Order: sequence, then C-alpha cells, then structure tokens
Amino acid sequence: MTGSTFLGRASGRSRVRIGAALTAVPLAVALLGPLLTEPGARGPAFTYGDQWLLGTDSEGRDLLTQVLLGGRSLVLVAAAAVALTYLLAVPWGVAAATARRRIVDEMLMRPLDLLLSLPSIMVLLLAVALTDADLLVLTVTVAVLLFPDAARLVRASALHAAHTPAMEALVLQQETWWRRQLGYLGRSLLPILAADAGLRFVGAIYLVASASFLGVSADSAGTDWAVMIDRNRAGLALVPWGVVLPAALIIALAMGVNLLFDSGARAATREVSTRKWR
Amino acid sequence: MLARYAGTRLTVGLVQVLGVLVVVFSIAAALPGDAAVVIAGDDADPRRIAQLRELLGLDRPLSVQFGDWLTGLLGGDLGTSVVSGRPVTAMLGSALAPTLTLAALAFVVLVPLALLLGVVAAVRRGHRVHRAVTALTVAFYAAPEFAVAIVLVAVFAVGLGWFAPTAVGAGGPLLMQPELWVLPVLVLVIRPVCSLSRLVRSSLITTLDSEYIRHTRRLGVPVRRVIWRHALPGSLTPATQHLARVADWLLGGVVVVEAVFALGGLGQLLVSAVSSRDIPLLMGLVTVFAMITVAVNTVADIVAFQLNPTAGLAS
Repeated sequence: MTGSTFLGRASGRSRVRIGAALTAVPLAVALLGPLLTEPGARGPAFTYGDQWLLGTDSEGRDLLTQVLLGGRSLVLVAAAAVALTYLLAVPWGVAAATARRRIVDEMLMRPLDLLLSLPSIMVLLLAVALTDADLLVLTVTVAVLLFPDAARLVRASALHAAHTPAMEALVLQQETWWRRQLGYLGRSLLPILAADAGLRFVGAIYLVASASFLGVSADSAGTDWAVMIDRNRAGLALVPWGVVLPAALIIALAMGVNLLFDSGARAATREVSTRKWR
Repeated sequence: MLARYAGTRLTVGLVQVLGVLVVVFSIAAALPGDAAVVIAGDDADPRRIAQLRELLGLDRPLSVQFGDWLTGLLGGDLGTSVVSGRPVTAMLGSALAPTLTLAALAFVVLVPLALLLGVVAAVRRGHRVHRAVTALTVAFYAAPEFAVAIVLVAVFAVGLGWFAPTAVGAGGPLLMQPELWVLPVLVLVIRPVCSLSRLVRSSLITTLDSEYIRHTRRLGVPVRRVIWRHALPGSLTPATQHLARVADWLLGGVVVVEAVFALGGLGQLLVSAVSSRDIPLLMGLVTVFAMITVAVNTVADIVAFQLNPTAGLAS
C-alpha cells in the first residue's frame, strides 16, 4: 500500500465517521421527534420563558416541540421521491441499455437531455404553484427532476453488465428473461444504485427544503424545518433558535449524507468507468 | 473547423430552446390551475371561469395558444401579468439588473477561488491541507443555499453587525453597496466553488503526473511556473464545461438568495409570481431562465471545443 493510498483511506474513514455523526442527529430528531412530543400550549410570539426552553416561534408555539415535529415530512418526502426516481429510472435505463436497436436507445435517452436543461427549482415552483400543493405533487415533481440523471447512470451501468461474458452465457443457456434481467442485471446494478441513492437523497432534500422555504410547501401548519426558517426569520434578532436550529439540522443532514455516500459513489462509478475502459 | 462546430452547436441550442418552450408550455397546460382560475379567485363560479377562459383565449386548441405565445415571444411580448396588469417583458427588464450584478460578482469571486483551492489541493496531495479542502468541499457541496444564508445572516449580520441582514429599504445600485452583496455572493459561490475546485484538483493531478510536466521539471523550470503556466491551462477543459452547469446552479441559487436577502431581482419576482399564482409572469420567468441555461451550455461547449478540439468532437 502506498503512502498516499493509506492517507486516502485514513481520511476516507474519518470522513465516513463525521458523515455518520452528522447524519445520525438530524435523522434521529426527524424520525423519533414526533414520538417524543406533541403540540402544547401557545404563548406570545418570539419570547422566552420557563415553559419554552428555546423560546416560541412566530405563532407562539414551543420551538423545541416544533423542531422535534418538523423533520419527518422533509425526510419522508425526500425518501419517497428517491424511491420513485429509481422506480422510473431503473426500467428506463435498463430498457435503453438492452435495446437491440440503437434508435430505441436514442429515443429513450435524448428527451432526457431536454429535461436536464430545465432549471430544477423553477420547474418545481411552476408545477407546485399550478396545482394545489400537496405531498404527492411535490414528491412526483422532485422524482421527475431527479429522474434524467439517475436514468443515465442506470443506462451506463447496465450497458456494461449487459455485455459481459456472464450475460452472453446466460443467453446461450436460454435462461428466462426474468432471470437474466432481474437475477443478473438487476443484482449487478445494486451496489451502484446503493451508493448513488445517498447522493440522490441529498438532491431531493435540497429541492424539497428550498421549495418549502420559497413558499411551495404542503405543510400548511408550518412545522416543516424549512417552513420554520421562513416564518421565524422576522424574529431572528429576538429568538435566533427558531431559524438557526432548523437550518443547522438541514445543513447537517445534507452534509452528513453527502460525506457518508460520496466515497462509495465515487468508487462505484470508478468501477463502471474502469470496466468500460477494458 | 471552429465555425462549423459553433454552427452545429448553435443549431442544437435553438432546437433545445424550442424543446424547452414546448415542455414549459405543456407543463403549464397539463396542470389544473390556469390564469382564468387565478383571476376568478377562490370559490369562483365555474361559469365565470369559463367566461374568463374565453376572454383570455384559453379555450382555444393548445397548438393555437402555443403558436400565439411563440409569436409573442419572438416579438418580445410575453403577455401581461394577471396581478399587476403590467407587461411581463417590462417586469423582467426592470428586475434584471440586481440578478445580473449578483451573478457577475459571483463569477468574479468563484473562478479565482476555485482555481486556487483546486491547485492547493492538487499540489499538497496527501497533506492535511489537501484532506481539509477535500472534506470541506464534499460537505459544503450539499448544503442548501437558504439554510447557509440564514446561518450567515444570524452570525454576521444580526450577531456581529458587519453586514445588512436584507436589502429592505436600501436604494441605489447594488454594486456600490458591499454590505448588501457580500453575504449573498458568499452564499451563491459556496456550492459551485466546491464542485469546480474538485474538478480542477483531479484534472491537475493527472496533468502533474504526465511525462510532459516531468520533463519541464527536469529542465529546471521553477515549480510555480510549471504549475501556473504549463500544467493548469491544460487542465481547464473539464472545468470550463462544468462552468455551464455552475450557471444553472447560480440561477437556482439566485432565486433563493434574492428571497432571503430581499434583493428585488428575477428570483424574488419568481417567488412573488409563485405565491400569487401569476401564470403569465411565471411562464415568462421560466422561459428566460431556461433560455439562459441553454445559451450558457452552448457557449461553454464552443469554448471547450476551442481549448480542446478533439474532446469537443468526441462529445
């Protein structure tokens, strides 16, 4: 092992540790928070008191309670959007990669270039503004925005797997379509998709949180962390926790997941590109 | 050869713009809310909505509506705002200056900073500077702009009082008021600096390991000259192409940053158009943003081709 490789691995390990720590805190607050608390009595807006450890928000609600309640929708919408992205991208990318005719591949992949040239935040705002903003519209729109990039990755990975000697052997053995596509091709895509899912999740968090902050949120109660930041901005000088705490939790979640998955994703894509070279 | 490539790329760019316009128009047409619903307001009588649709021409076939909209666009007419009653083109024109100022300042800060960080990380491979730069760029790359912006405002504007928290009440050109633009520009460049510096670093590492660079070192050329004059220019092709993607991020970032700092540009206009469901204004904004994205991509491809014709042809 060379010196630089050792250093690279050592720094990679500490990055994973920091990433895990940064991810664990906001994820635990988001998923377990609603189980630990429930909305309590209201007080004056932007004030401190014995009942309100971190102060109150713009509507006089306890900030700590709101923070504990506000992460779940953000995390769940982002996770659902990522799941839906792969539900669309995997069959699409595999169909393009395994198409016998090049024109089918082109017809499936070229329109995605067009989708990629649309500014994401703007399309999200347009779609949610023109409908009654609900969780389903938000989830589907985020998934559609993440879909082109994911489909390209799936196609690139499947293209390699579909042309390996193992696959040719399966064809010669007259294995069923299901066994070839799901049993072999699907399994060979799993490590790459697992590494990519984290980064895709960060992208979804980014879009959902930014859209919520800009006012297109399905959360009318204002408990979403991003909505909290927007609504409590007016009281930043009086009760900074109402803004700083949800912002810090969103930043920690995005940074942590990115640190955690970045090295895995790079290794997986490097594997694909190295194989293509051969 | 450059002229031929530029011609092809511009044609592709025009087709892309047309495709984007079709997509934007289709999204607006496919979704349930339209300008008539917005003007009629909540709980409106369906007959009133139908009358408004007829008045606005929204009951005509979609292809006819798109043709009219496209003809208007070519003549610089994007319709009229349903909220303010002003022409959309005039509203876009008046909001353009702050957005362009912000984007230009961000580019001026971004490019040298990304180059410097990329070079330092590449030259100090394995050193703790390299590890720190790499970890920070991976971490901050993912942070949403609005969250970073709000933390910076809390610390540097509200806490320390060094900058203005928002531009509310400020007059005069943005460029002359650094207390208004330093934080927004900082927020805007964080994400692109992370990706661009990583690209410069990895590209420069490959170049520094090349036989050509080793040979210049053997000839006794000073290290700094080797890095800045010989290795770096040859490593910039991927970064140039990536700048087009950065432009897309900056557009998205501008929307958020203008909303946080109340800077009154295209981004803030977009947010107000969304909250008031001003569909003609929304369509105009999305069209302008999409056209800028396609134009920047086209220019970046042409510049990259000029830097490295072989790579350009291959792509």
